[in-house]
Amino acid sequence: MRSGTPKISPIKTVFEDVLILFLLLFSFTSLLGVEKTTLHLWHPMPAPSRAVLNELVAEYELSHPDISVQLLYKENEEVRMAYMSATAFTKGGPDMLYGPSDFTGALVEMDIVKPLENLFTEDELAAFDPKGLTWYNDHLYQIGDELGNHLALVYNKRLFAEVGLDRPPETLQELVEFGKKLTIDKDGDGIIDQYGLVWNFTEPFFFMPFYASFGGWVMDADQNPTLDNEAAVKAFKFVRDLRDVHGIIPKECDYDIADSKFNTGTAAMLINGAWSWAKYMESPYVDFGLAVLPINEETGLYPAPMIATKGYYLNPYLEGERLDQVVELIKFLTGPEAQFRYASRLATIPTLLEVRERPEIINNPIIQTSIEQVKHGNAMPISPQMRAIWDAMRPAYQNVLGGSMSPEEGAAYQQQLAEQKVAELFEGQDVDPDAFNVSALLVYLAGVLLMIWAIYKLVVFFVQPLIRGVPGVQVKESRFGVLMVAPAALFIFGVVVYPFFYNLVISFSNMGLTTVNDWRIIGLAQYGKVITDTQFYHFFIKTIIWTVVNVSLHVIIGVMLAMLLNHPLPGKGIIRVLLILPWAVPSYITALTWRGMFNIDYGAVNIILKTVFGLEPISWLIDPTNAFIAAIITNVWLGIPFMMIIALGGLQAIPQELYEAAAIDGASPWQQFKKITLPLMKPVMIPAITLGIVWTFNNINVVWLVSNGGQPGDQTHILVSFVYRAAFNLYRYGYAAAFSFMIFLMLAFFSIKFMQKTKATETAY
Amino acid sequence: MKKTTPLQYIMIYSLLLVAVAWSIYPILRVITISIRPGDNLLNESLALIPDDWTFDNYVTIFTDHPLGTWIWNSILVTVTVVITGVALASTAGYALSRFRFPGREASLLSLLVTQMFPATMLLLPLFIMLSNLHLINTYLGLIVIYSSTALPFCVWQMKGYYDTIPYSLEEAARIDGASRFMAFYKIILPLASPALVITALFSFMSAWTEYIVAAQVLWYEEMFTLPIGLKSFQANMTTEWGLYAAGAMIVSIPAIALFLFLTKYLIGGLTLGSVKG
Repeated sequence: MRSGTPKISPIKTVFEDVLILFLLLFSFTSLLGVEKTTLHLWHPMPAPSRAVLNELVAEYELSHPDISVQLLYKENEEVRMAYMSATAFTKGGPDMLYGPSDFTGALVEMDIVKPLENLFTEDELAAFDPKGLTWYNDHLYQIGDELGNHLALVYNKRLFAEVGLDRPPETLQELVEFGKKLTIDKDGDGIIDQYGLVWNFTEPFFFMPFYASFGGWVMDADQNPTLDNEAAVKAFKFVRDLRDVHGIIPKECDYDIADSKFNTGTAAMLINGAWSWAKYMESPYVDFGLAVLPINEETGLYPAPMIATKGYYLNPYLEGERLDQVVELIKFLTGPEAQFRYASRLATIPTLLEVRERPEIINNPIIQTSIEQVKHGNAMPISPQMRAIWDAMRPAYQNVLGGSMSPEEGAAYQQQLAEQKVAELFEGQDVDPDAFNVSALLVYLAGVLLMIWAIYKLVVFFVQPLIRGVPGVQVKESRFGVLMVAPAALFIFGVVVYPFFYNLVISFSNMGLTTVNDWRIIGLAQYGKVITDTQFYHFFIKTIIWTVVNVSLHVIIGVMLAMLLNHPLPGKGIIRVLLILPWAVPSYITALTWRGMFNIDYGAVNIILKTVFGLEPISWLIDPTNAFIAAIITNVWLGIPFMMIIALGGLQAIPQELYEAAAIDGASPWQQFKKITLPLMKPVMIPAITLGIVWTFNNINVVWLVSNGGQPGDQTHILVSFVYRAAFNLYRYGYAAAFSFMIFLMLAFFSIKFMQKTKATETAY
Repeated sequence: MKKTTPLQYIMIYSLLLVAVAWSIYPILRVITISIRPGDNLLNESLALIPDDWTFDNYVTIFTDHPLGTWIWNSILVTVTVVITGVALASTAGYALSRFRFPGREASLLSLLVTQMFPATMLLLPLFIMLSNLHLINTYLGLIVIYSSTALPFCVWQMKGYYDTIPYSLEEAARIDGASRFMAFYKIILPLASPALVITALFSFMSAWTEYIVAAQVLWYEEMFTLPIGLKSFQANMTTEWGLYAAGAMIVSIPAIALFLFLTKYLIGGLTLGSVKG
């Protein structure tokens, strides 16, 4: 392979020569033909920091003509998952990963990150703030270039001045008082036009500072969750009261609502992280002010945001000259000049102490406030348990905010959930490798028998008739038929066969966070866990409702529109295209737009309900049932054009003469529809409906986007989004595989029943 | 069909108007976001055209990002997928509709079965497979996966449509001396143009807007297809909404153009006088 290809230790195969040919034909890098070492860096930097990184890399490449650095941006979670797939499962991946320090625990447990302590001299390391270097189990794994991700209070000085305030609040009491002054209904129509405070308060990360200000913390020294306490109850009440008693925050507020409101000058204060401040400084509606989160006068504690170090991790398979090149690059990217540039442009906190002392940094009020805030903060735990704790806090906290749990119940629930999820995180590592496992043996045996049976069937029913012919089968016709189907079949099955069996094998294994590289077959245990989980049945029923409602509405409305469009109408072409538009625009943006339209106060849906029908506003995204209905409405909208097009195609296959003949015989329109349209459209519609059912059953995107990953309280899920959330998030690969396979089995059962009922494989004539 | 009365016209148009309004309103919102200055997803104003509207986002997206390259890459991948899809689905669907051969029912069923794998089951092993086959950072890997995603539906769709075309047409052609393939190619295929249009549209859409697999396969920004390029404007908590919406509209334009072009054939393809029911 050429030096430019990203895989570090390519696996030699017999087909290598053929593959290299393909590679030469298709690989972009080999077309460049330049003898350079290409180093890959994956990062989740938002646009402003990305610009600085691009500059730095360009300069580095200028001074190092033999090095080319390929940057690849992915979102935070995506970059972590992609890095894990590439390193843990294929021993490849990029040379460097940039990210927050909370990646550390999981990367170490999976054994996919390189210890760095021997690659740097003691003097080099001594130049860093110790918080900028991430150690775990006595090894150094991350070199930070920034202390960040901490929340602080952003406020709009202009709006403060309008009500006669000249400083930010200093206590939580004041926060409420100021908030009340700044919450204004300008035109007296009962809708608040300016809120005192906004922030993404339904997300635990944004709640954490208040929990800490009442004296709570997420885990004890042994990494056990500590969430059921007085502090949690008080903090829950505090946030709930801000909304319900004091009315200074909107009823519904996610990140984007908060961000938009503050940025357009319709909210006076915002709690947001270091990554976001640069944007507000540029906003024409905001006179930017930054303050430390105000002290909790009841406890005398400051709200403590989580602080993460952002920095570089190295690929564990790096060695030799390439490793030296990477280390040199890292030293440059975390070096004083790089850090200074980030700090002076983006007001980040450098990890190099020397840079922090430079006059430009000392005289920068934002960096100084930021440093002040960091002093009150807590370091983000880097152990993998933290992920389980977030996943436990989210539903409990959202249930409290939604009113379905009291603060006390919420605190108890999050503790119980956290303990359960921590256990799930480490499940599988207690499997004794030497123990005799009957269930596993049976699985092996069944696998072998199944393969023998499949080969036998293939020979008897497929190969033999084609070669020798059997009674009732015309050899010539058969061969022609098989020849015509073969290319498509090869394409399709070539792609799915390996993933299918891989998934099947993993579903019998204990693969999880700590057993990615030494998993073993343990039998049916994962399936047992799936079918004994009551949530499985809960979401199964939801999935059925989701599928039936969606597909029915798609088909009914789609066919109806197609029949209307089948009339000779002036302007039909335009109408047709307008009706198809929801299919043409990518759903990942329209689904988010729908989410915006379901906003309780400002969404178009509620405004139309109110002005046209005089209805009370519906809390679409706060109430679990409504959130589910919102997702269904969005998906109905998305799916109609597809069915309409299919139906339009199907209608073309119906000869007009049939209708004319029927009309002469005096058949009513309804009779014509029932006796002619429906039966003749069937061969075209049934495949589309069957596949519609299948796709809808497994449609993870729409539910995910509309409910923002299952909110409120992780209840807005169908099976496939639930397994994504509950299993992949906690690295439970074996469990996820078994769960996915169960989804597949149920779907296969239902759709084959459906097909038999509708006789889909038979022909119309 | 019988004459449509004026009253029926009014009813049909009013129904269609409601449908059109519901269909395009959310898309108009996307356009609104794309011409709004600043990066705000939400706005309390319901006005579709903001007072301070601007095309800055469209300008930025073309000047600051290699959008031309991404569009070209997307076209390359998509066109290949569409050609593959149409060629393979029209032939396979025909065989499945017309011939009885061993494995026919099984292939039809298993085509459907391949659609039932939840995404959670495929993503990781697909990546491992592509990686072991050295198809990471190639378009070949993408094309194969996209084709195989689109094909099952297309094959079924073609098969269903062929089923509505009477056998007598080919039989007549065969009696006139056409080969089996010629009868298919010259007689049946043109009659199936609505289904071919659907096949083409569907293959196009599955390749044109896909980003999850593409994000796993392509590691170079110059190699990006349009949807992953677009995804790079989206970030956890710092999405550049204006650019994202503008990008989404740019992604949609070729799709809309194709719909406009192809739906003509969706309607006009048949000379049904020759077909007896």
